[in-house]
Amino acid sequence: MSRRPPLSAYAAAALLLLAVAGPLLTPDDPDAGNLRERLLAPGSAGHPLGTDTQGRDVLSRLLVAAGPSLLGGLLPVVVATLAGGLLGIAAGLGGRTTENVLLRALDVLYAFPGVLLAITVATVLRPGLLATVVSLSVVLTPAVTRVAFTEVRRIRTAAFLEAARVSGAGAASVAVRQVAPVVAPVLLVYASSLVGLAVVYAAGLSFLGLGVPPPAAEWGAMLDELRPSLLTRPEVAVLPAVTILVVSVVFNCLGEALRRRAGGGHEVGRPPAVEAAR
Amino acid sequence: MRRYLLRRLLLAVPTLLGVTVVVFAAVALVPGDPVTAFLGPGAPAEARERLAERLGLGEPLPVRYGHWLWHALHGDLGVSVSAQRPVADLLGPALGQTLLLAGAAFLLVITGGTLLGALGAGRPEGRRARAGRAVSTLAVSAPQYSVALLLIAVFAVALRWFPAGGTRDLFTGGGPADQLHHLVLPAVAAALVPLGLTARVFGAALSSVLHSDLADGLRARGLRRAAVLRHCVHNASPALLTIGGLQLAYLLEGVVFVETLFAWPGVGRLLYDALTARDLPLVQGGVLLVAVAFVGVNIVVDTAHALVDPRLRGAL
Repeated sequence: MSRRPPLSAYAAAALLLLAVAGPLLTPDDPDAGNLRERLLAPGSAGHPLGTDTQGRDVLSRLLVAAGPSLLGGLLPVVVATLAGGLLGIAAGLGGRTTENVLLRALDVLYAFPGVLLAITVATVLRPGLLATVVSLSVVLTPAVTRVAFTEVRRIRTAAFLEAARVSGAGAASVAVRQVAPVVAPVLLVYASSLVGLAVVYAAGLSFLGLGVPPPAAEWGAMLDELRPSLLTRPEVAVLPAVTILVVSVVFNCLGEALRRRAGGGHEVGRPPAVEAAR
Repeated sequence: MRRYLLRRLLLAVPTLLGVTVVVFAAVALVPGDPVTAFLGPGAPAEARERLAERLGLGEPLPVRYGHWLWHALHGDLGVSVSAQRPVADLLGPALGQTLLLAGAAFLLVITGGTLLGALGAGRPEGRRARAGRAVSTLAVSAPQYSVALLLIAVFAVALRWFPAGGTRDLFTGGGPADQLHHLVLPAVAAALVPLGLTARVFGAALSSVLHSDLADGLRARGLRRAAVLRHCVHNASPALLTIGGLQLAYLLEGVVFVETLFAWPGVGRLLYDALTARDLPLVQGGVLLVAVAFVGVNIVVDTAHALVDPRLRGAL
Protein backbone atom coordinates (compact mmCIF):
# COMPACT_ATOMS: atom_id res chain seq x y z
CA MET A 1 0.00 0.00 0.00
CA SER A 2 1.55 3.26 -1.08
CA ARG A 3 1.94 6.04 1.42
CA ARG A 4 1.84 8.72 -1.24
CA PRO A 5 -1.30 10.88 -1.08
CA PRO A 6 -3.81 9.86 -3.76
CA LEU A 7 -4.27 12.04 -6.82
CA SER A 8 -7.69 13.07 -5.56
CA ALA A 9 -6.06 14.60 -2.46
CA TYR A 10 -4.09 17.04 -4.63
CA ALA A 11 -7.23 17.84 -6.62
CA ALA A 12 -9.21 18.47 -3.42
CA ALA A 13 -6.43 20.66 -2.01
CA ALA A 14 -6.42 22.66 -5.25
CA LEU A 15 -10.19 23.13 -4.98
CA LEU A 16 -9.94 24.35 -1.40
CA LEU A 17 -7.17 26.74 -2.41
CA LEU A 18 -9.37 28.00 -5.21
CA ALA A 19 -12.21 28.53 -2.75
CA VAL A 20 -10.01 30.73 -0.58
CA ALA A 21 -8.19 32.56 -3.37
CA GLY A 22 -11.11 32.65 -5.82
CA PRO A 23 -12.07 36.30 -5.27
CA LEU A 24 -8.44 37.32 -5.94
CA LEU A 25 -8.22 35.46 -9.24
CA THR A 26 -11.29 36.83 -11.00
CA PRO A 27 -10.50 38.38 -14.38
CA ASP A 28 -13.59 40.59 -14.17
CA ASP A 29 -16.03 42.00 -11.59
CA PRO A 30 -18.35 39.03 -10.89
CA ASP A 31 -21.35 41.25 -10.14
CA ALA A 32 -20.95 43.85 -12.89
CA GLY A 33 -23.41 43.18 -15.69
CA ASN A 34 -23.29 44.60 -19.18
CA LEU A 35 -26.53 44.39 -21.11
CA ARG A 36 -24.72 44.66 -24.43
CA GLU A 37 -22.68 41.53 -23.64
CA ARG A 38 -25.42 39.13 -22.63
CA LEU A 39 -24.96 35.38 -23.11
CA LEU A 40 -21.66 35.55 -24.97
CA ALA A 41 -20.19 32.22 -26.02
CA PRO A 42 -17.15 30.80 -24.22
CA GLY A 43 -13.95 32.12 -25.77
CA SER A 44 -15.31 35.62 -26.38
CA ALA A 45 -12.86 38.47 -25.91
CA GLY A 46 -12.35 39.08 -22.19
CA HIS A 47 -14.80 36.32 -21.21
CA PRO A 48 -13.09 32.91 -21.50
CA LEU A 49 -16.20 31.08 -20.26
CA GLY A 50 -18.77 33.47 -21.71
CA THR A 51 -21.32 35.65 -19.92
CA ASP A 52 -24.69 35.03 -18.26
CA THR A 53 -28.13 36.50 -18.92
CA GLN A 54 -27.11 39.82 -17.37
CA GLY A 55 -23.76 39.99 -19.14
CA ARG A 56 -21.74 39.02 -16.08
CA ASP A 57 -18.49 37.11 -16.57
CA VAL A 58 -19.19 33.42 -15.87
CA LEU A 59 -15.60 32.47 -15.02
CA SER A 60 -15.43 35.23 -12.40
CA ARG A 61 -18.74 34.15 -10.92
CA LEU A 62 -17.74 30.49 -10.82
CA LEU A 63 -14.52 31.44 -9.00
CA VAL A 64 -16.22 33.70 -6.48
CA ALA A 65 -18.89 31.06 -5.92
CA ALA A 66 -16.32 28.41 -4.99
CA GLY A 67 -16.04 29.73 -1.43
CA PRO A 68 -19.71 29.74 -0.39
CA SER A 69 -20.45 26.60 -2.43
CA LEU A 70 -17.73 24.51 -0.79
CA LEU A 71 -18.41 26.02 2.62
CA GLY A 72 -22.05 25.00 2.25
CA GLY A 73 -20.85 21.41 1.90
CA LEU A 74 -17.93 21.38 4.34
CA LEU A 75 -19.49 23.13 7.34
CA PRO A 76 -22.43 20.70 7.66
CA VAL A 77 -19.99 17.78 7.56
CA VAL A 78 -17.98 19.33 10.41
CA VAL A 79 -21.11 20.05 12.46
CA ALA A 80 -22.58 16.61 11.79
CA THR A 81 -19.32 14.86 12.66
CA LEU A 82 -19.10 16.62 16.03
CA ALA A 83 -22.80 16.26 16.85
CA GLY A 84 -23.00 12.69 15.56
CA GLY A 85 -19.86 11.71 17.45
CA LEU A 86 -21.28 13.07 20.71
CA LEU A 87 -24.70 11.49 20.18
CA GLY A 88 -23.18 8.17 19.12
CA ILE A 89 -20.96 7.98 22.19
CA ALA A 90 -23.87 9.02 24.40
CA ALA A 91 -26.07 6.33 22.87
CA GLY A 92 -23.34 3.72 23.20
CA LEU A 93 -22.37 4.42 26.80
CA GLY A 94 -25.58 5.88 28.21
CA GLY A 95 -27.58 2.78 29.04
CA ARG A 96 -30.61 1.18 27.43
CA THR A 97 -33.08 4.06 27.72
CA THR A 98 -30.76 6.67 26.23
CA GLU A 99 -29.84 4.24 23.48
CA ASN A 100 -33.44 3.45 22.61
CA VAL A 101 -34.65 7.04 22.65
CA LEU A 102 -31.77 8.28 20.50
CA LEU A 103 -31.96 5.47 17.96
CA ARG A 104 -35.76 5.77 17.64
CA ALA A 105 -35.44 9.52 17.06
CA LEU A 106 -32.87 8.86 14.36
CA ASP A 107 -35.18 6.35 12.69
CA VAL A 108 -37.66 9.16 12.16
CA LEU A 109 -35.06 11.28 10.38
CA TYR A 110 -34.08 8.27 8.28
CA ALA A 111 -37.64 8.04 7.05
CA PHE A 112 -37.03 11.08 4.85
CA PRO A 113 -35.01 10.97 1.64
CA GLY A 114 -32.14 13.43 2.33
CA VAL A 115 -33.19 16.30 0.11
CA LEU A 116 -36.76 16.18 1.42
CA LEU A 117 -35.57 16.46 5.03
CA ALA A 118 -33.28 19.34 4.06
CA ILE A 119 -36.20 21.08 2.37
CA THR A 120 -38.37 20.60 5.46
CA VAL A 121 -35.78 22.09 7.79
CA ALA A 122 -34.66 24.85 5.42
CA THR A 123 -38.19 26.21 4.88
CA VAL A 124 -38.23 27.23 8.56
CA LEU A 125 -35.18 29.43 8.06
CA ARG A 126 -34.45 32.48 5.97
CA PRO A 127 -32.71 31.43 2.71
CA GLY A 128 -28.95 31.68 3.11
CA LEU A 129 -25.78 29.86 4.07
CA LEU A 130 -27.10 29.32 7.58
CA ALA A 131 -30.20 27.54 6.29
CA THR A 132 -27.99 25.29 4.16
CA VAL A 133 -25.65 24.48 7.03
CA VAL A 134 -28.40 23.82 9.58
CA SER A 135 -30.57 21.69 7.31
CA LEU A 136 -27.70 19.61 5.92
CA SER A 137 -26.32 19.09 9.42
CA VAL A 138 -29.68 17.63 10.38
CA VAL A 139 -29.59 15.40 7.30
CA LEU A 140 -26.05 14.11 7.89
CA THR A 141 -26.01 13.77 11.69
CA PRO A 142 -28.08 10.54 11.94
CA ALA A 143 -25.68 8.64 9.67
CA VAL A 144 -22.61 9.85 11.58
CA THR A 145 -24.30 8.99 14.87
CA ARG A 146 -24.94 5.48 13.61
CA VAL A 147 -21.31 4.99 12.61
CA ALA A 148 -20.10 6.31 15.98
CA PHE A 149 -22.61 4.17 17.86
CA THR A 150 -21.59 1.02 16.00
CA GLU A 151 -17.97 1.69 16.86
CA VAL A 152 -18.73 2.34 20.54
CA ARG A 153 -20.85 -0.80 20.76
CA ARG A 154 -17.94 -2.78 19.33
CA ILE A 155 -15.59 -1.67 22.11
CA ARG A 156 -17.87 -1.00 25.04
CA THR A 157 -17.20 -4.32 26.74
CA ALA A 158 -13.46 -4.21 25.95
CA ALA A 159 -10.98 -4.84 28.72
CA PHE A 160 -9.36 -1.41 28.53
CA LEU A 161 -12.65 0.30 29.30
CA GLU A 162 -13.27 -2.07 32.19
CA ALA A 163 -9.76 -1.31 33.46
CA ALA A 164 -10.39 2.42 33.28
CA ARG A 165 -13.64 2.08 35.19
CA VAL A 166 -12.14 -0.18 37.85
CA SER A 167 -9.31 2.29 38.35
CA GLY A 168 -11.96 4.86 39.25
CA ALA A 169 -12.43 6.87 36.06
CA GLY A 170 -15.83 8.60 35.85
CA ALA A 171 -18.21 8.21 32.91
CA ALA A 172 -17.13 11.50 31.32
CA SER A 173 -13.49 10.63 31.65
CA VAL A 174 -14.01 7.21 30.05
CA ALA A 175 -15.92 8.81 27.18
CA VAL A 176 -13.35 11.52 26.52
CA ARG A 177 -10.07 9.72 27.25
CA GLN A 178 -10.82 6.13 26.26
CA VAL A 179 -13.71 6.02 23.80
CA ALA A 180 -13.32 9.24 21.81
CA PRO A 181 -9.77 8.46 20.60
CA VAL A 182 -11.00 5.13 19.19
CA VAL A 183 -14.08 6.59 17.53
CA ALA A 184 -12.47 9.75 16.10
CA PRO A 185 -10.37 8.21 13.30
CA VAL A 186 -13.31 6.12 12.10
CA LEU A 187 -15.51 9.22 12.04
CA LEU A 188 -12.87 11.24 10.18
CA VAL A 189 -12.69 8.69 7.40
CA TYR A 190 -16.47 8.51 7.23
CA ALA A 191 -16.81 12.30 7.25
CA SER A 192 -14.39 12.63 4.35
CA SER A 193 -16.68 10.43 2.31
CA LEU A 194 -19.65 12.73 3.04
CA VAL A 195 -18.14 15.93 1.66
CA GLY A 196 -18.94 15.27 -2.00
CA LEU A 197 -22.54 14.45 -1.21
CA ALA A 198 -22.87 17.51 1.04
CA VAL A 199 -21.56 19.85 -1.67
CA VAL A 200 -24.08 18.36 -4.11
CA TYR A 201 -26.91 18.78 -1.58
CA ALA A 202 -25.87 22.35 -0.76
CA ALA A 203 -25.93 23.38 -4.41
CA GLY A 204 -29.25 21.56 -4.78
CA LEU A 205 -30.77 23.61 -1.95
CA SER A 206 -29.61 26.84 -3.57
CA PHE A 207 -31.08 25.63 -6.84
CA LEU A 208 -34.40 25.22 -5.04
CA GLY A 209 -34.09 28.76 -3.70
CA LEU A 210 -33.44 27.70 -0.10
CA GLY A 211 -29.70 28.40 0.05
CA VAL A 212 -27.58 31.44 -0.70
CA PRO A 213 -29.94 33.96 -2.38
CA PRO A 214 -29.09 36.02 -5.49
CA PRO A 215 -27.25 38.17 -6.48
CA ALA A 216 -24.50 36.42 -4.50
CA ALA A 217 -22.71 33.85 -6.65
CA GLU A 218 -23.20 30.20 -5.68
CA TRP A 219 -22.99 27.20 -8.00
CA GLY A 220 -26.51 25.91 -7.39
CA ALA A 221 -28.03 29.39 -7.68
CA MET A 222 -26.07 29.96 -10.90
CA LEU A 223 -27.44 26.70 -12.24
CA ASP A 224 -30.97 28.00 -11.65
CA GLU A 225 -30.19 31.44 -13.10
CA LEU A 226 -28.68 30.02 -16.29
CA ARG A 227 -31.38 27.39 -16.76
CA PRO A 228 -33.57 29.48 -19.11
CA SER A 229 -30.54 29.94 -21.40
CA LEU A 230 -30.17 26.19 -21.87
CA LEU A 231 -31.87 26.29 -25.26
CA THR A 232 -30.07 29.38 -26.56
CA ARG A 233 -26.59 29.06 -25.04
CA PRO A 234 -26.23 25.49 -23.74
CA GLU A 235 -22.42 25.62 -23.64
CA VAL A 236 -22.61 28.33 -20.95
CA ALA A 237 -25.70 27.03 -19.16
CA VAL A 238 -24.11 23.66 -18.34
CA LEU A 239 -20.95 25.16 -16.79
CA PRO A 240 -22.18 25.33 -13.16
CA ALA A 241 -23.56 21.79 -13.53
CA VAL A 242 -20.19 20.54 -14.81
CA THR A 243 -18.35 22.35 -12.00
CA ILE A 244 -20.47 20.69 -9.31
CA LEU A 245 -20.07 17.32 -11.03
CA VAL A 246 -16.27 17.61 -11.10
CA VAL A 247 -16.11 18.72 -7.45
CA SER A 248 -18.36 15.85 -6.42
CA VAL A 249 -16.21 13.30 -8.28
CA VAL A 250 -13.01 14.68 -6.71
CA PHE A 251 -14.30 14.52 -3.15
CA ASN A 252 -15.89 11.11 -3.64
CA CYS A 253 -12.64 9.69 -5.02
CA LEU A 254 -10.79 11.19 -2.05
CA GLY A 255 -13.28 9.72 0.42
CA GLU A 256 -12.98 6.33 -1.22
CA ALA A 257 -9.18 6.43 -1.27
CA LEU A 258 -9.10 7.30 2.44
CA ARG A 259 -11.59 4.57 3.22
CA ARG A 260 -9.59 1.98 1.32
CA ARG A 261 -6.41 2.99 3.16
CA ALA A 262 -8.14 2.89 6.51
CA GLY A 263 -8.71 -0.80 5.84
CA GLY A 264 -11.79 -1.80 3.92
CA GLY A 265 -14.76 -0.32 5.67
CA HIS A 266 -17.85 -0.33 3.56
CA GLU A 267 -17.03 -1.51 0.08
CA VAL A 268 -20.47 -0.29 -0.83
CA GLY A 269 -21.74 2.76 -2.38
CA ARG A 270 -21.63 6.43 -2.79
CA PRO A 271 -20.44 7.92 0.46
CA PRO A 272 -23.98 8.28 1.45
CA ALA A 273 -25.75 9.93 4.28
CA VAL A 274 -27.89 6.96 4.91
CA GLU A 275 -25.65 4.09 4.05
CA ALA A 276 -24.27 3.19 7.45
CA ALA A 277 -27.73 2.78 8.86
CA ARG A 278 -28.96 0.07 6.63
CA MET B 1 -43.46 -14.82 8.03
CA ARG B 2 -46.81 -13.32 8.97
CA ARG B 3 -45.37 -12.48 12.38
CA TYR B 4 -42.44 -10.73 10.75
CA LEU B 5 -44.73 -8.61 8.60
CA LEU B 6 -46.89 -7.70 11.58
CA ARG B 7 -43.92 -6.62 13.67
CA ARG B 8 -42.46 -4.67 10.77
CA LEU B 9 -45.76 -2.83 10.31
CA LEU B 10 -46.02 -2.09 14.03
CA LEU B 11 -42.48 -0.74 14.06
CA ALA B 12 -43.40 1.64 11.25
CA VAL B 13 -46.17 3.28 13.32
CA PRO B 14 -43.93 5.34 15.65
CA THR B 15 -41.71 6.21 12.68
CA LEU B 16 -44.69 7.49 10.71
CA LEU B 17 -45.96 9.46 13.70
CA GLY B 18 -42.50 10.98 14.07
CA VAL B 19 -42.52 11.92 10.39
CA THR B 20 -45.84 13.73 10.78
CA VAL B 21 -44.53 15.58 13.86
CA VAL B 22 -41.43 16.76 11.98
CA VAL B 23 -43.40 17.88 8.93
CA PHE B 24 -46.06 19.63 11.01
CA ALA B 25 -43.55 21.30 13.33
CA ALA B 26 -41.44 22.58 10.44
CA VAL B 27 -44.37 24.43 8.94
CA ALA B 28 -45.78 25.57 12.28
CA LEU B 29 -42.38 27.07 13.14
CA VAL B 30 -42.10 29.11 9.96
CA PRO B 31 -42.03 32.77 10.91
CA GLY B 32 -44.77 34.93 9.44
CA ASP B 33 -48.53 34.94 9.55
CA PRO B 34 -50.35 32.23 7.61
CA VAL B 35 -53.52 34.33 7.40
CA THR B 36 -51.70 37.13 5.57
CA ALA B 37 -49.99 34.53 3.38
CA PHE B 38 -53.36 33.19 2.34
CA LEU B 39 -55.49 36.31 2.03
CA GLY B 40 -52.87 38.88 1.10
CA PRO B 41 -51.97 41.99 3.10
CA GLY B 42 -55.10 44.08 2.40
CA ALA B 43 -57.77 41.62 3.57
CA PRO B 44 -60.63 42.89 5.78
CA ALA B 45 -60.35 42.11 9.49
CA GLU B 46 -63.53 40.04 9.49
CA ALA B 47 -62.25 37.68 6.81
CA ARG B 48 -58.94 37.41 8.64
CA GLU B 49 -60.68 36.42 11.87
CA ARG B 50 -62.85 33.87 10.12
CA LEU B 51 -59.85 32.23 8.46
CA ALA B 52 -57.78 32.32 11.66
CA GLU B 53 -60.60 30.51 13.41
CA ARG B 54 -61.03 28.00 10.61
CA LEU B 55 -57.29 27.27 10.63
CA GLY B 56 -57.47 26.91 14.43
CA LEU B 57 -54.62 29.35 14.95
CA GLY B 58 -55.85 30.28 18.44
CA GLU B 59 -55.40 26.72 19.68
CA PRO B 60 -52.22 25.43 21.34
CA LEU B 61 -49.77 23.60 19.06
CA PRO B 62 -50.47 20.02 20.17
CA VAL B 63 -54.21 20.53 19.56
CA ARG B 64 -53.49 21.95 16.12
CA TYR B 65 -51.22 18.98 15.41
CA GLY B 66 -54.03 16.63 16.41
CA HIS B 67 -56.51 18.34 14.10
CA TRP B 68 -54.02 18.42 11.25
CA LEU B 69 -53.15 14.72 11.67
CA TRP B 70 -56.83 13.77 11.84
CA HIS B 71 -57.55 15.61 8.60
CA ALA B 72 -54.39 14.29 6.91
CA LEU B 73 -55.44 10.74 7.77
CA HIS B 74 -58.67 11.44 5.92
CA GLY B 75 -56.85 12.71 2.87
CA ASP B 76 -57.38 16.39 3.66
CA LEU B 77 -54.01 18.14 3.49
CA GLY B 78 -55.30 21.68 3.52
CA VAL B 79 -55.56 24.22 0.72
CA SER B 80 -52.72 25.36 -1.50
CA VAL B 81 -52.03 29.07 -1.11
CA SER B 82 -50.82 29.64 -4.67
CA ALA B 83 -53.37 27.48 -6.51
CA GLN B 84 -56.25 28.07 -4.05
CA ARG B 85 -57.18 24.43 -4.45
CA PRO B 86 -57.06 21.47 -2.06
CA VAL B 87 -53.49 20.17 -1.78
CA ALA B 88 -54.68 16.59 -2.20
CA ASP B 89 -56.26 17.45 -5.58
CA LEU B 90 -52.93 18.77 -6.79
CA LEU B 91 -50.85 15.91 -5.39
CA GLY B 92 -53.03 13.11 -6.74
CA PRO B 93 -52.39 13.47 -10.47
CA ALA B 94 -48.79 14.53 -9.81
CA LEU B 95 -48.16 11.31 -7.88
CA GLY B 96 -49.19 9.29 -10.93
CA GLN B 97 -46.65 11.10 -13.11
CA THR B 98 -43.93 10.68 -10.48
CA LEU B 99 -44.63 6.96 -10.17
CA LEU B 100 -44.41 6.62 -13.96
CA LEU B 101 -41.05 8.38 -14.03
CA ALA B 102 -39.71 6.58 -10.96
CA GLY B 103 -40.91 3.23 -12.29
CA ALA B 104 -39.16 3.75 -15.63
CA ALA B 105 -36.02 4.87 -13.82
CA PHE B 106 -36.19 1.82 -11.55
CA LEU B 107 -36.24 -0.51 -14.55
CA LEU B 108 -33.09 1.19 -15.82
CA VAL B 109 -31.50 0.93 -12.37
CA ILE B 110 -32.05 -2.81 -12.12
CA THR B 111 -31.09 -3.80 -15.68
CA GLY B 112 -28.25 -1.30 -16.10
CA GLY B 113 -26.95 -1.75 -12.56
CA THR B 114 -26.73 -5.54 -12.67
CA LEU B 115 -25.14 -5.55 -16.14
CA LEU B 116 -22.57 -2.91 -15.19
CA GLY B 117 -21.89 -4.68 -11.90
CA ALA B 118 -21.45 -8.04 -13.60
CA LEU B 119 -18.86 -6.54 -15.95
CA GLY B 120 -15.68 -8.48 -15.31
CA ALA B 121 -16.90 -9.79 -11.95
CA GLY B 122 -14.94 -13.01 -12.55
CA ARG B 123 -11.68 -11.09 -12.39
CA PRO B 124 -12.17 -8.19 -9.96
CA GLU B 125 -8.70 -6.75 -10.64
CA GLY B 126 -8.99 -7.16 -14.41
CA ARG B 127 -9.28 -4.28 -16.84
CA ARG B 128 -12.99 -4.69 -17.52
CA ALA B 129 -13.89 -4.79 -13.83
CA ARG B 130 -11.82 -1.66 -13.17
CA ALA B 131 -13.49 0.18 -16.03
CA GLY B 132 -16.89 -0.89 -14.72
CA ARG B 133 -16.05 0.39 -11.25
CA ALA B 134 -14.80 3.71 -12.64
CA VAL B 135 -18.07 4.17 -14.52
CA SER B 136 -20.14 3.35 -11.46
CA THR B 137 -18.10 5.74 -9.29
CA LEU B 138 -18.75 8.46 -11.83
CA ALA B 139 -22.45 7.57 -11.83
CA VAL B 140 -22.89 7.70 -8.05
CA SER B 141 -21.02 11.01 -7.90
CA ALA B 142 -23.07 12.69 -10.60
CA PRO B 143 -25.65 15.10 -9.16
CA GLN B 144 -29.03 14.47 -10.78
CA TYR B 145 -29.46 18.11 -11.75
CA SER B 146 -26.06 18.16 -13.49
CA VAL B 147 -26.90 15.01 -15.41
CA ALA B 148 -30.31 16.36 -16.37
CA LEU B 149 -28.87 19.62 -17.70
CA LEU B 150 -26.11 17.86 -19.63
CA LEU B 151 -28.58 15.41 -21.16
CA ILE B 152 -30.80 18.27 -22.29
CA ALA B 153 -27.85 20.22 -23.70
CA VAL B 154 -26.48 17.24 -25.64
CA PHE B 155 -29.46 15.10 -26.66
CA ALA B 156 -32.22 17.71 -26.86
CA VAL B 157 -30.55 20.96 -27.87
CA ALA B 158 -27.49 19.86 -29.86
CA LEU B 159 -28.53 16.51 -31.37
CA ARG B 160 -32.32 16.99 -31.23
CA TRP B 161 -32.83 13.27 -30.60
CA PHE B 162 -35.19 13.73 -27.66
CA PRO B 163 -37.56 16.47 -26.49
CA ALA B 164 -36.20 18.84 -23.83
CA GLY B 165 -39.15 18.46 -21.48
CA GLY B 166 -42.80 17.74 -20.91
CA THR B 167 -44.65 14.44 -21.05
CA ARG B 168 -46.11 14.53 -24.56
CA ASP B 169 -46.12 16.44 -27.82
CA LEU B 170 -48.17 19.60 -27.33
CA PHE B 171 -49.47 19.78 -30.89
CA THR B 172 -50.33 16.21 -31.73
CA GLY B 173 -51.16 15.12 -28.17
CA GLY B 174 -48.91 12.12 -28.68
CA GLY B 175 -49.46 8.39 -28.41
CA PRO B 176 -47.64 5.87 -26.22
CA ALA B 177 -44.54 6.02 -28.46
CA ASP B 178 -44.40 9.78 -28.07
CA GLN B 179 -44.77 9.52 -24.30
CA LEU B 180 -41.98 6.95 -24.16
CA HIS B 181 -39.86 9.33 -26.21
CA HIS B 182 -40.43 12.04 -23.60
CA LEU B 183 -39.70 9.61 -20.78
CA VAL B 184 -36.21 8.53 -21.86
CA LEU B 185 -34.04 11.48 -20.79
CA PRO B 186 -35.68 12.17 -17.40
CA ALA B 187 -35.61 8.46 -16.56
CA VAL B 188 -31.90 8.23 -17.35
CA ALA B 189 -31.17 11.36 -15.28
CA ALA B 190 -33.10 10.00 -12.28
CA ALA B 191 -31.62 6.51 -12.61
CA LEU B 192 -27.91 7.26 -12.78
CA VAL B 193 -27.04 7.55 -9.06
CA PRO B 194 -28.95 4.47 -7.86
CA LEU B 195 -27.71 2.63 -10.97
CA GLY B 196 -24.09 3.24 -9.98
CA LEU B 197 -24.85 2.16 -6.43
CA THR B 198 -26.53 -1.01 -7.66
CA ALA B 199 -23.60 -1.80 -9.93
CA ARG B 200 -21.13 -1.53 -7.06
CA VAL B 201 -23.10 -3.61 -4.62
CA PHE B 202 -24.07 -6.27 -7.14
CA GLY B 203 -20.55 -6.40 -8.58
CA ALA B 204 -19.00 -6.91 -5.15
CA ALA B 205 -21.57 -9.56 -4.22
CA LEU B 206 -21.26 -11.43 -7.53
CA SER B 207 -17.48 -11.52 -7.45
CA SER B 208 -17.47 -12.83 -3.89
CA VAL B 209 -19.95 -15.59 -4.84
CA LEU B 210 -17.91 -16.44 -7.95
CA HIS B 211 -14.91 -17.00 -5.70
CA SER B 212 -16.78 -18.99 -3.09
CA ASP B 213 -16.85 -22.74 -2.43
CA LEU B 214 -20.30 -22.81 -4.00
CA ALA B 215 -18.93 -21.76 -7.38
CA ASP B 216 -15.94 -24.12 -7.06
CA GLY B 217 -18.32 -26.94 -6.27
CA LEU B 218 -20.49 -26.22 -9.29
CA ARG B 219 -17.46 -26.09 -11.56
CA ALA B 220 -16.10 -29.31 -10.08
CA ARG B 221 -19.36 -31.04 -10.91
CA GLY B 222 -18.76 -30.09 -14.53
CA LEU B 223 -21.41 -27.41 -14.98
CA ARG B 224 -20.89 -25.13 -17.92
CA ARG B 225 -19.87 -21.51 -17.38
CA ALA B 226 -23.30 -20.13 -18.17
CA ALA B 227 -24.92 -22.47 -15.66
CA VAL B 228 -22.38 -21.56 -12.96
CA LEU B 229 -22.99 -17.91 -13.64
CA ARG B 230 -26.74 -18.38 -13.39
CA HIS B 231 -26.43 -19.97 -9.95
CA CYS B 232 -24.06 -17.25 -8.79
CA VAL B 233 -26.27 -14.41 -10.02
CA HIS B 234 -29.12 -16.01 -8.13
CA ASN B 235 -27.04 -16.07 -4.96
CA ALA B 236 -25.78 -12.52 -5.35
CA SER B 237 -29.19 -10.93 -6.00
CA PRO B 238 -30.35 -10.55 -2.37
CA ALA B 239 -27.51 -8.04 -1.93
CA LEU B 240 -29.59 -5.70 -4.07
CA LEU B 241 -32.39 -5.79 -1.53
CA THR B 242 -30.13 -4.74 1.34
CA ILE B 243 -29.66 -1.39 -0.37
CA GLY B 244 -33.21 -1.22 -1.69
CA GLY B 245 -34.20 1.62 0.64
CA LEU B 246 -31.12 3.59 -0.24
CA GLN B 247 -31.69 3.22 -3.97
CA LEU B 248 -35.22 4.41 -3.46
CA ALA B 249 -34.17 7.42 -1.42
CA TYR B 250 -31.86 8.56 -4.19
CA LEU B 251 -34.51 7.90 -6.80
CA LEU B 252 -37.10 9.97 -4.93
CA GLU B 253 -34.85 12.90 -4.08
CA GLY B 254 -33.46 12.94 -7.61
CA VAL B 255 -36.99 13.23 -8.91
CA VAL B 256 -37.34 16.70 -7.32
CA PHE B 257 -34.56 18.06 -9.53
CA VAL B 258 -35.18 15.94 -12.61
CA GLU B 259 -38.88 16.79 -12.79
CA THR B 260 -38.13 20.48 -12.36
CA LEU B 261 -35.56 20.56 -15.14
CA PHE B 262 -37.60 18.44 -17.55
CA ALA B 263 -40.90 20.22 -16.78
CA TRP B 264 -42.34 16.84 -15.76
CA PRO B 265 -45.61 17.50 -13.90
CA GLY B 266 -44.95 15.26 -10.90
CA VAL B 267 -44.67 15.71 -7.13
CA GLY B 268 -41.08 16.96 -7.40
CA ARG B 269 -41.99 19.68 -9.86
CA LEU B 270 -44.94 20.62 -7.65
CA LEU B 271 -42.60 20.88 -4.65
CA TYR B 272 -40.24 23.17 -6.58
CA ASP B 273 -43.12 25.43 -7.58
CA ALA B 274 -44.45 25.39 -4.02
CA LEU B 275 -41.03 26.34 -2.63
CA THR B 276 -40.65 29.17 -5.15
CA ALA B 277 -44.10 30.53 -4.23
CA ARG B 278 -43.54 29.75 -0.51
CA ASP B 279 -46.79 27.81 -0.61
CA LEU B 280 -46.33 26.08 2.75
CA PRO B 281 -49.40 23.80 2.81
CA LEU B 282 -48.34 22.41 -0.56
CA VAL B 283 -44.71 21.94 0.60
CA GLN B 284 -46.00 20.20 3.73
CA GLY B 285 -48.31 17.92 1.78
CA GLY B 286 -45.69 17.05 -0.81
CA VAL B 287 -42.97 16.22 1.70
CA LEU B 288 -45.41 14.20 3.80
CA LEU B 289 -46.57 12.22 0.77
CA VAL B 290 -43.04 11.37 -0.34
CA ALA B 291 -41.88 10.49 3.19
CA VAL B 292 -44.88 8.23 3.83
CA ALA B 293 -44.44 6.57 0.44
CA PHE B 294 -40.77 6.05 1.27
CA VAL B 295 -41.60 4.39 4.61
CA GLY B 296 -44.18 2.21 2.86
CA VAL B 297 -41.86 1.02 0.13
CA ASN B 298 -39.16 0.35 2.69
CA ILE B 299 -41.55 -2.05 4.40
CA VAL B 300 -42.11 -3.79 1.07
CA VAL B 301 -38.37 -4.03 0.46
CA ASP B 302 -37.68 -5.39 3.95
CA THR B 303 -40.47 -7.93 3.60
CA ALA B 304 -39.19 -9.07 0.22
CA HIS B 305 -35.75 -9.41 1.75
CA ALA B 306 -37.11 -11.52 4.58
CA LEU B 307 -38.96 -13.69 2.08
CA VAL B 308 -35.75 -14.34 0.16
CA ASP B 309 -33.52 -14.74 3.21
CA PRO B 310 -35.24 -16.57 6.09
CA ARG B 311 -32.44 -15.67 8.51
CA LEU B 312 -33.74 -12.10 8.59
CA ARG B 313 -37.14 -13.13 9.91
CA GLY B 314 -35.74 -13.61 13.37
CA ALA B 315 -34.05 -10.24 13.34
CA LEU B 316 -37.13 -8.25 14.24
